Amino acid sequence: MLTLLRDLRRLRRSLDLAPPERASSLAVRHVDAGSCNGCEHELTLLSSPYYDLQRFGLGIVASPRHADVLLVTGPVTSRMLEPLRVAYDAMPEPRRVAALGDCALGCNVLGTADDVVGPVDRILPVDLRIPGCPPTPEVIAQALLGLIDAGRR
Amino acid sequence: MTEHRGGASYREQIASAHAGGWRFAGLHATSDGARVRTLLDDATGATRLETVVAERGGVPSIVDLVPAAGWDEREAHDLRGVEFAGHEPLRPLVDHDLRLDRWTVPVRGHDAYQVAVGPIHAGIIESGHFRLHVVGERILHLDARLFYKHRGLERAAEGRTLDEGLAYAARACAACAVANGVAYAHACEDALGFTPDLELARVRTILLELERMWSHLNDLAAVCSGVGLAAGNNHFAALTERARRLNAKLTGHRFLFAAIHVGRSDILLHRDDVRAAAEEVAALRTDARRGWRELRFNRSFEDRLPGIGVVDAAAARRLGAVGPAARAAGVPDDLRACSPRLAYDGFEPVTPERAAGDVQARVEQRALELEQTFAVLERLLDRRIGPSAASPGAQERPIGIGRVESPRGATSCIVERRDDRVERLRLRTGSYANWPVVAYAAADNLLPDFPLINKSFELCYACADR
Repeated sequence: MLTLLRDLRRLRRSLDLAPPERASSLAVRHVDAGSCNGCEHELTLLSSPYYDLQRFGLGIVASPRHADVLLVTGPVTSRMLEPLRVAYDAMPEPRRVAALGDCALGCNVLGTADDVVGPVDRILPVDLRIPGCPPTPEVIAQALLGLIDAGRR
Repeated sequence: MTEHRGGASYREQIASAHAGGWRFAGLHATSDGARVRTLLDDATGATRLETVVAERGGVPSIVDLVPAAGWDEREAHDLRGVEFAGHEPLRPLVDHDLRLDRWTVPVRGHDAYQVAVGPIHAGIIESGHFRLHVVGERILHLDARLFYKHRGLERAAEGRTLDEGLAYAARACAACAVANGVAYAHACEDALGFTPDLELARVRTILLELERMWSHLNDLAAVCSGVGLAAGNNHFAALTERARRLNAKLTGHRFLFAAIHVGRSDILLHRDDVRAAAEEVAALRTDARRGWRELRFNRSFEDRLPGIGVVDAAAARRLGAVGPAARAAGVPDDLRACSPRLAYDGFEPVTPERAAGDVQARVEQRALELEQTFAVLERLLDRRIGPSAASPGAQERPIGIGRVESPRGATSCIVERRDDRVERLRLRTGSYANWPVVAYAAADNLLPDFPLINKSFELCYACADR
């Protein structure tokens, strides 16, 4: 196991992201509203050694009650409409909504009109749009760090 | 392809096929619900389609003969309105507008209670609802309600051209985009009478194995996170990232989106690019092996895995388990061994020495398959990738069938066409086949082990829900 830990330290040192200067944090609750799983797979890698966003104060939290931001992926299916609203209603103020990926933004959505009721901004007020299909971890990282910076100003 | 007018002859045919070694590989209703088609396959990869005409909106159920048809029949009922006589109770699957007691199995007795999880989970996980019936910490039964992500992709594809239809299959799921795309392309080419040339077979095989490589690396990372082993999780997550960067370098997309087309491939790669890719694959192999060795010597990791979430060979066969989950139980089925349209020359399925069908065996299966994937990639990444295409000439059919071994198991795609338009698309992925198996595996285990059992399958919700 020490071998692995040594490897990881080397990886951490090879990163080209700026060192953490931000003194704030951002608690994010992710909601999959019908994505293809691409955004989720990229989001998962934000905590991998190449990005390691926790060191910038960015955390994925288990409950919308602990969240500053609702990060929504997918075109919003009819079956996820209600859970999405419940999650948003559970958040404390002030709260933000980020739409992650082209489907959430309503671009090139595949599906029937009965089953897809989005995009996200038809249902919730969207503060941050992160385009891409799916957006790379780097793009997601920059967008979310930008939200931390905006909160400090 | 046989068409049955009487339900009795359909059931007889399925029963005798089943007794003769044919296996269930999917069932779907036509767009108007007037016909139901059952796909069967055998160990050599041969397929046949049994069609039964619905009478007064119904056909006889085959779920008593083939339990694996359970989800397919429930879906055909919810989406196409077909009744299945003998499937009692016919619980809703895709339809969510019904009371709890209509879709859960009644579990009664002293101290039995329900733990409801989802559809929104605590981590970065796709949406789906699990209702665990438990006594204390012991799981008695699991009802999984998926299809929260149902986008109606199959219906939306109807009426599109065969070329346009590809997106509806491929983009059902980012983690299986290549497998689903190739299955769709094979189905269309089967219907059009096209045969891929050797270079097209090679480039598609490379893409399929690149997908399996990142997917299996990701699965090992997920299992490490399931037991709380951060070092292992980070190691394999870093390798997953490198594998996706390699995808982007070769095709311009980290998930290999838009790399598959019907009848052709647009990928051209210079010798030097292919060599650089082969070198990165070799480096990934070295690092994956090192990580795997470290895991095998980690007691806190190894102690968590054996004996939980057991699906033995008999259960795997009965429930129609596919892919690594079936092979980990000692069922040596792998479509790569019988894929004449791809370049898996001489491929032989692998199963672990201790094929116990538990979490440990499924994890080990991923490590074994990674070795095969590295070997296939090494063999195929030996020269430039030149122009490739599929050529016409074989017999044309109204219905095409494409089958591909995805990272999660056998994926079948059926395309019914009218001229060059999709009349009906049906995509039955490895995840779809294995979800009912997860529910079976969870029963009789401890509630805190459920996330680990679930991760040892690591199924997609997106390509089950479509």
